Amino acid sequence: MNKTKKLVASISTLLTRRRISHPSSSSLRCNPLATIASNSQTDLNPVKPLAVSIRRLQFSGRAFSSESSDKRSSSVCCWNCGFSSEKAAFLFCDSCRSIQPVDDSVDYFQIFGLEKKYELEGGSLEGKYKDWQKKLHPDLVHNKSQKERDYAADQSAKVTEACRTLTKRLSRAMYKMKLNGKNINEEETVTDPTLLMEMMELREAIAEADDSKELNQIQSQVQENLKQWSDSFADNFESQRFDEAVKCIRRMTYYEKACEEIVKKL
Amino acid sequence: MMLRQAAKKALGLTSRQSTPWSVGISRSYHENVIDHYDNPRNVGSFDKNDPSIGTGLVGAPACGDVMKLQIKVDEKTGQIVDARFKTFGCGSAIASSSVATEWVKGKAMEEVLTIKNTEIAKHLSLPPVKLHCSMLAEDAIKAAVKDYKEKRLKTNGVGESSQA
Repeated sequence: MNKTKKLVASISTLLTRRRISHPSSSSLRCNPLATIASNSQTDLNPVKPLAVSIRRLQFSGRAFSSESSDKRSSSVCCWNCGFSSEKAAFLFCDSCRSIQPVDDSVDYFQIFGLEKKYELEGGSLEGKYKDWQKKLHPDLVHNKSQKERDYAADQSAKVTEACRTLTKRLSRAMYKMKLNGKNINEEETVTDPTLLMEMMELREAIAEADDSKELNQIQSQVQENLKQWSDSFADNFESQRFDEAVKCIRRMTYYEKACEEIVKKL
Repeated sequence: MMLRQAAKKALGLTSRQSTPWSVGISRSYHENVIDHYDNPRNVGSFDKNDPSIGTGLVGAPACGDVMKLQIKVDEKTGQIVDARFKTFGCGSAIASSSVATEWVKGKAMEEVLTIKNTEIAKHLSLPPVKLHCSMLAEDAIKAAVKDYKEKRLKTNGVGESSQA
């Protein structure tokens, strides 16, 4: 009885909140729930039908989270138990231990609870990644519904992708640019003679290097260059010099490719 | 030579053999690509300070490839008599630039400017994901011609001023 009351109360508050914040959006979704809510208020006895019909409607509580992904002005709800969470990245409900569907408005920085800065602190990423996978991995949901198994597959893939993107400097830089709506045109041919000459010479040096000692030397030089240009990118990005930032990314791409070649040779 | 060895290592041997079990899912390189790979034509360099040489240096930002294509032009006829290339990149990029050097030989400069990346891609049966390699080759040709013309303008300019 108390549980139903709580459920109904939370649903009705959510509905009123939704109506206030987004009067026009998903009105279709609003109505069936409104009917159920009003029905349930009059007839509190059938607990099961209420829970079942809510589940059928797959109310994910995402309707009013379409505002800035920085701050969640409203909370999101678990599809399973209706538990509402204030977390920015609500991937897993601690209350009923069910995995949530993927929310595209959650970005990679939010998943790991990091500030949207280019510079990352320490090795916290790996630990957090493992923590997430302990909850989200598909191997853990064999006994659950098909829907939840699908959620697990999608969520753990997203978390893996997030970790991979944020770990490497270059992909992190490109992701940051993308988040700011600055898509880098990868189709455009590069014609900067100085850059290309340097890369040509670098690749020739790698191709002609005979022993691993020489290759390691080149590699450490390239790593140093990468770090230098990575810092330059951060600087340009913070100062909103996006054209310069793109140039930094281009250089980093070339250096990364060179590193790959060295590794192949070693 | 270095390129070939390095490139061979990179590509591995899988491109060579179309293994029986992969017939259904044929993701191997087209025979033209393999041909250019094993028997690369025109690998090398000209002296870029030579006035009859035009050098085109282009790069693909997505994959970090570098392509250098050089043309030797007969000053009197304006025809390309020889070409060389040096490419650091995937098999498709190497093959595209190799094809480019073959196709520009014996043609007039204006004519080679009409060579389209789609023709190169068709000749090599490049998959969609590798189309940018042929685009790179087309850009390299154009860059080489442009470089030669700019050099000619400079030398002509110097020539005229010294005469005057």
